[in-house]
Amino acid sequence: MESRFTETHQKLSEDGHESECDKIVKLLDLMIDGEASTEEQSYFNTHIEECVPCFESHQKQKLLKGLVSGHLKRVIVPESLALSIKARIQETV
Amino acid sequence: MSEQTGKQLSKEEKDARFEAELLPVLDPLYNFAYRLTLDEDDANDLVQETYLKAYRFFDYFEQGTNAKAWLFRILKNSFINEFRKKSKQPAKVDYSEVEGYYNSDDVEGEGGVASTTDMRTESVQDLIGDEVASALNALPVDFRTVIILCDLEGFTYEEMAKILDIPIGTVRSRLHRARNSLKEKLEKYAKSMGYNS
Repeated sequence: MESRFTETHQKLSEDGHESECDKIVKLLDLMIDGEASTEEQSYFNTHIEECVPCFESHQKQKLLKGLVSGHLKRVIVPESLALSIKARIQETV
Repeated sequence: MSEQTGKQLSKEEKDARFEAELLPVLDPLYNFAYRLTLDEDDANDLVQETYLKAYRFFDYFEQGTNAKAWLFRILKNSFINEFRKKSKQPAKVDYSEVEGYYNSDDVEGEGGVASTTDMRTESVQDLIGDEVASALNALPVDFRTVIILCDLEGFTYEEMAKILDIPIGTVRSRLHRARNSLKEKLEKYAKSMGYNS
């Protein structure tokens, strides 16, 4: 079960290349969340220009974030809530 | 502890400041409460309790600091302390129901290909939203929380660390695992709908 939670990332033939892709996988979240440093960003962008699997992983990760931010419906706050909060606060000494 | 002196505000002044600074967060706070409890009444109670606590500790709140993060933190702690025990089971996804709707005669319609395409576009938007919600609700609450804070509310890792009282490294690893888990659930759905990623 646990292994299914880890990224199924495509293995590349060259060992050196593989570890570079591993680094990229670790940067995916930082990139899509705008938390990567300038160095991390340029390292990442240079790599995905020439690595199709990592490019695709990045696209997928952005899509996933977009599904939550763009498609999850917000619930409507009941109108009575703000009023009852104000009322209870006024009662509080 | 040290005294929180300073200017003594009248109750009216304090209430006005409280409302001006903290009530604008009501909408995101209620949505967060709803995503945690998955129940409108519980969300309502949790938000009220959060505001009452915030009012009690309002003297410790520094004006102009991050009111949203402060309230989210109070709410999250209240949830852990009181609501978690009685929070309900997450809703299960009924794929067959969704498929049934998708394949129904209504969608095929009388208007031929063009209207079918339009209806599909609109209903696909709804379906995606519902599906994301179901997949998210099926995640453990800790995973759900980081995804809501990050992707829906746009908190930074640092703010999330403060809200959740965990190190930034834990925020990162939890978010990563949460997203893998969400991805897995959504991919299953995509396959059941005949899409291959």
